[in-house]
Amino acid sequence: MKILIIEDEKPLRESIKKYLGYQGYICETADDFALAREKVATFTYDCVVVDIGLPGGSGFEIIKELKYLESRAGIIIISAKNSLDDKLKGLGLGSDDYLTKPFHLPELMARIQAVLRRRNFQGSKFIRFNEISLFPEGRQVTVNDTVVELTDKEYNLLEYLISNKGRVLTKPAIAEHIWGDEYLQAGGYDFIYSQIKNLRKKLLDAGSGDYVKTVYGSGYRFTDR
Amino acid sequence: MKLLTKTTLYFLSAMLTLLGITGFYLFKQFSKGLDERSDKELLAGELEWVRYLESQAGQGTAFILRSKEISIFPTDAPPEDYPVISNAGDYTYESGVRIPYRQLSQVVSIEGLSYQLTIKKSQEQKTALIKSFTRIMMIVFAGLFLATILFNWVISRKLWRPFRQSLQKIRTADLQKMQTIHFEKTNTREFNELNASLNFMTGKIYDDFLSMKEFTEDAAHEMQTPIAVVQSKLEILLQDNNLTAEQVEAVMQAADALTRLSRLNQGLLFLARIQNNQYTADSLVDFEEITRKYLALFSELIKEKQIEIKTDITGKFKIQLHYLLADSMVSNLLGNAIRYNYPGGQLNVTITDTQFCISNTSQLDAIPKDKLFKRFSSTKNRDISSSGLGLAIVKKIAETNDLEISYRMENGIHLFTVSKNK
Repeated sequence: MKILIIEDEKPLRESIKKYLGYQGYICETADDFALAREKVATFTYDCVVVDIGLPGGSGFEIIKELKYLESRAGIIIISAKNSLDDKLKGLGLGSDDYLTKPFHLPELMARIQAVLRRRNFQGSKFIRFNEISLFPEGRQVTVNDTVVELTDKEYNLLEYLISNKGRVLTKPAIAEHIWGDEYLQAGGYDFIYSQIKNLRKKLLDAGSGDYVKTVYGSGYRFTDR
Repeated sequence: MKLLTKTTLYFLSAMLTLLGITGFYLFKQFSKGLDERSDKELLAGELEWVRYLESQAGQGTAFILRSKEISIFPTDAPPEDYPVISNAGDYTYESGVRIPYRQLSQVVSIEGLSYQLTIKKSQEQKTALIKSFTRIMMIVFAGLFLATILFNWVISRKLWRPFRQSLQKIRTADLQKMQTIHFEKTNTREFNELNASLNFMTGKIYDDFLSMKEFTEDAAHEMQTPIAVVQSKLEILLQDNNLTAEQVEAVMQAADALTRLSRLNQGLLFLARIQNNQYTADSLVDFEEITRKYLALFSELIKEKQIEIKTDITGKFKIQLHYLLADSMVSNLLGNAIRYNYPGGQLNVTITDTQFCISNTSQLDAIPKDKLFKRFSSTKNRDISSSGLGLAIVKKIAETNDLEISYRMENGIHLFTVSKNK
């Protein structure tokens, strides 16, 4: 899996590269418009993460370029502008997703995987983690081929955990992925504990290993190690 | 005091002085004429008396006459060449009315004998003159007074109309719509100058407002990138397995504060956008639908807090509103009703054709009226995840979309009502 990160802010670019690297993705980077254009024209990527405000040009032009080249790469826009117009414009040009800064790195990871899966690059329509299988199309989960009944939110939670397997996920990052931005209007993140507990219990009952680990003080980690 | 009343008062007091002076001058003139006539009569009288005395002088007796108007008696004083005519002191009739008189006195020598001759002449007409002058002046003044008031009334209605129109425009001026305000040309130079200055001023204010607005938006956007950098660094740092518990806590606290900063920033930006009318009311939204959506979204929280939800829907509250604003309104009100509720509390949603009400139990006191929809005003009771902008946003949405939002608290129940503005 080769991913191009087009972002002019160096520390952010490096963070993204590092995090995606943890999950086994090979990342190339471009820090300005000219280099980004050169790279998309020269190499093939599975996914392009592109910032809109770039020195030397707009990220929208890169998307147009990719479409002109008939690239099959998934496109995710990351922008500081939380603007409906920009979102619509990006999607209209053929991007797959739009993420407003600041975002959680696990969130970007989950979105990239979703885009890649939709484009079927991985050659499989399901996600596997040892004895657990997820079928995104029917939003179904099996453990050792027996179906586990999960609520919508539990399914999203599990998919998010597996997308970021091995990584520490904080409660805010989890809450924002599953309940969106607005959950904070109603209260804190404490309810996530019971959500995780329910999911964990359902998986254990279905005979899976105990993969959901609590990381003291920070959050949760999905791992078999 | 009205400018017109003021000028009228000044005008009238000036008129009063002027009339007084005129009256006084006229009186002086008339009185001089009267004096001259009296003097002639006095002199003629004296002449007759002298003649009479001379004709009687041969009899060798001293002549004495004392009456109210004339006194003649012998004296030792040397004779005078000229008579002295003066306004002498009053003498009083039985009625007590003071009457001025003119007096001629001379020591004349008749056949070697000196006589003191004094002739007095009443000037009763003078009193009458003062009276009639005063009356005339009063009538003139009254006429002037009435005329002035009438003129002013007409003037204030006609001449001052452009001024009043401009004033009304300023009074109803709205920063958002400042560019639509135009102060028209009038046929009065002063008002033209005023209106031209006002046009210039409103233009300037609007330009400043625009650049301020842009600045707010730009600043908010620019802030998101550094926040994104810090957040990503903290998340990378958390992946380090060698962190001590203390270090993890520090990172988490930093991340929480950062989330708050970011939300605050987004909230302010959202407020600015609503204020700038960037969300047009282009869809008919159904508040029941939105409420159900957010009740589902918050369902875990509601369950966790064991809040009892009651819905009483007797109509459709449908209004023309941008869907993002409708979402924000409902999620803020509903969110607050959950956040500030106590475990095992109640939350009621009542929807009729004209109203959308959310009420909830809470241990918090009623929100003071002056702080109700103010930004950051609930600092005391706010918990860490609240931006302090929720109600300010709800209020702003209502204000810009012809909705009314009201709040009251009764028996420990906080009630928010959204209704259409009539």
